[in-house]
Amino acid sequence: MRDDNEPRHDPSMPNRRRFLQSAAWTWGAVAAGAGSWVLRPTWASAQGPIKVGIATDLTGAIGYAGNANANIAKLVVKEINGRGGVLGRPLELHIEDTASNESVAVANVRKLIQRDKVDVVFGGITSSMRNAIKDVIVTRGRTLYIYPQLYEGKECTPFIYCTGPTPAQQCDEFIPWLMKNGGKRFALPSANYVWPHVLNQYARKVIEGNGGEVIFEEYYPLDQVEYSATVNKIMTNKVDVVFNTVIPPGVGPFFKQLYEAGFTKRGGRLSCVYYDENTLNINAPHEIEGLASCLDYFRAVTKDEPGSARIQADYDKQFPGPIVFAAGSAATGMYRGLKLWEAAVKEARSVGREAVAKALDHAKISEGPGGPAEMVPGKRHCKMRMYTAVAKQGTYDIVARSKGLVDPKEC
Amino acid sequence: MEGVISAVFEVLNFGAIMVLVVLGLGVIAGMMGIFNFAHGEFVLLGAYTVYLFHTWTLPIWLGMLAAPVVVAAIALVLERLVIRRFYAVPVIAMLGTYAVGLAIRESVRGLIGGLYRAVPEPLIGSIDIGAVHIARWRLAIVVITVLVMVGCYLLLTRTGLGLKVRAALENPSLARASGLSTTRIYAGTFAFGAGLAGLAGALVVPVFSLSADLGIRFLIQGFLAVMLGGVGSFEGSVAGAALIGVMSAALPWGVAPVLADVLVFLIAVVLVRLWPRGLTAGRTV
Repeated sequence: MRDDNEPRHDPSMPNRRRFLQSAAWTWGAVAAGAGSWVLRPTWASAQGPIKVGIATDLTGAIGYAGNANANIAKLVVKEINGRGGVLGRPLELHIEDTASNESVAVANVRKLIQRDKVDVVFGGITSSMRNAIKDVIVTRGRTLYIYPQLYEGKECTPFIYCTGPTPAQQCDEFIPWLMKNGGKRFALPSANYVWPHVLNQYARKVIEGNGGEVIFEEYYPLDQVEYSATVNKIMTNKVDVVFNTVIPPGVGPFFKQLYEAGFTKRGGRLSCVYYDENTLNINAPHEIEGLASCLDYFRAVTKDEPGSARIQADYDKQFPGPIVFAAGSAATGMYRGLKLWEAAVKEARSVGREAVAKALDHAKISEGPGGPAEMVPGKRHCKMRMYTAVAKQGTYDIVARSKGLVDPKEC
Repeated sequence: MEGVISAVFEVLNFGAIMVLVVLGLGVIAGMMGIFNFAHGEFVLLGAYTVYLFHTWTLPIWLGMLAAPVVVAAIALVLERLVIRRFYAVPVIAMLGTYAVGLAIRESVRGLIGGLYRAVPEPLIGSIDIGAVHIARWRLAIVVITVLVMVGCYLLLTRTGLGLKVRAALENPSLARASGLSTTRIYAGTFAFGAGLAGLAGALVVPVFSLSADLGIRFLIQGFLAVMLGGVGSFEGSVAGAALIGVMSAALPWGVAPVLADVLVFLIAVVLVRLWPRGLTAGRTV
């Protein structure tokens, strides 16, 4: 009911209620569009822009990785647009936050497909994320999907292309190196989820095939932070090589307890195939001195690989700060994926899914992080160079590199 | 033999860490009846304070001394602004503290770039007794935990201040009628519990490395410990935490680790069923 004695406000004058209403609207708008960013090109073409969708974890537990993915996508798109775009059309970047949370992700990726109608989607970091969003993109969305992260393999769905390393690429040359530079007795301590399980199956085959022995393979809850029982088993069984797939938060305390028990001091070799420049900071340098990793790129590669050096320099210039360009967070696979897709669109002279997929099947790039890369025809996975690096006082030294491009051996 | 000694020490060490983390939670839950979901984030803030001291190249131990004070001060502000409004409605208070915790956690995540940061121990190296290596810092944690535990117990049971706190929590109206300011006592107790959390975070960060999710790891087990020990008792929380910590560290020596994790909860639930009022019911502060 209205009180006639209430002082009348000039409608154009702000009052408290009006302020609250508009504030509510603003917040509502922010909430509805939360996690969406559009980066429009600075020039236009008659046919309109090509829409590139990026779905990655900008927030949440693996936000550091997602932001590196978004950064590298901005860098590549800017570079492509600066050179005149693709097929005379500029690229328009649509970035959606998958928030390290599969249910949030599905809703946001749906926006990319249904609202923005993007021509291709890049992204997803964890396998659980890929599995959550792939159906939305590929089956119901009828859109091409490029997955950039190192992973356990076996993703053979048509129209999904993987541009990160597979178990074969991370094990075939690395495990023999570990045997030569560590020993034949392996322990496989692992976090209890799909990647370690499937990677270990492959690693075990390579270890046993090369005359090594798996002393134990054990799985831990993802948030376990106390590893005394495991460390004891490693020490008393005289394990030579710890092939680790325990992930943060457990990996820090685990490596620390191993160090305190004197594992590296007595000549043990620590190894972990997702370890890159980001994860180096989890422990103090002396605790993981000698840790070996095998990835498609390390910053140390820039010393004698001019293509990688250029990409790294561009990245550091455009994105100084804590979010670094590193292989373990899928950023290198994102670069590779975008460039391979660009090559495919140019060859196909179209952005149609079937035409691009056909060209992407054998796409090649001569320059990328770590060197050139090419898709293996019919396999939807990518051949690339692999590097073995050892942690030394808080950085990596490259100690071995593949002779040529390593086969992913998938599908 | 060496194996047994080091195993016992490692198990004891994790038990001590659990007690340290749960102490503050137990004080707040037991004395105030509030399940503080921001407890993990107070632990995180303590850890973050030490990390800041480390980045400013100040001594780590100085950061560890400062952490409880800093966290208690922040908690005092939060209590005045948010928590005190919810004393009458514990469920809402739970959600309120959860929101506070979320805000703290995500802020810290932004500040450290979402990454893990190593913080060095103030005491490096190990004490070697034959073939047994005991890390000095882990030993220090056990010793400090015992001291803090005894200190808290004496404070609550043997001092005038402790008496007032217990009086205000047992019977607020009578305490007020007797001239005690319950508002100030509640605020003080909340800040004290948070300060303990800050201390815990500061002491354990060299062991676990700093990350935004540092505190969450302990939250559920912490609540389980408080339930197990009996809500409303100081010794109960300590006993519950020690039991949960020791079980978490000891079970993986015998059974598959994935199973051990479940077993800890299973055993705790059974114990809660057998002693619904807690392990130390009726015999406590």
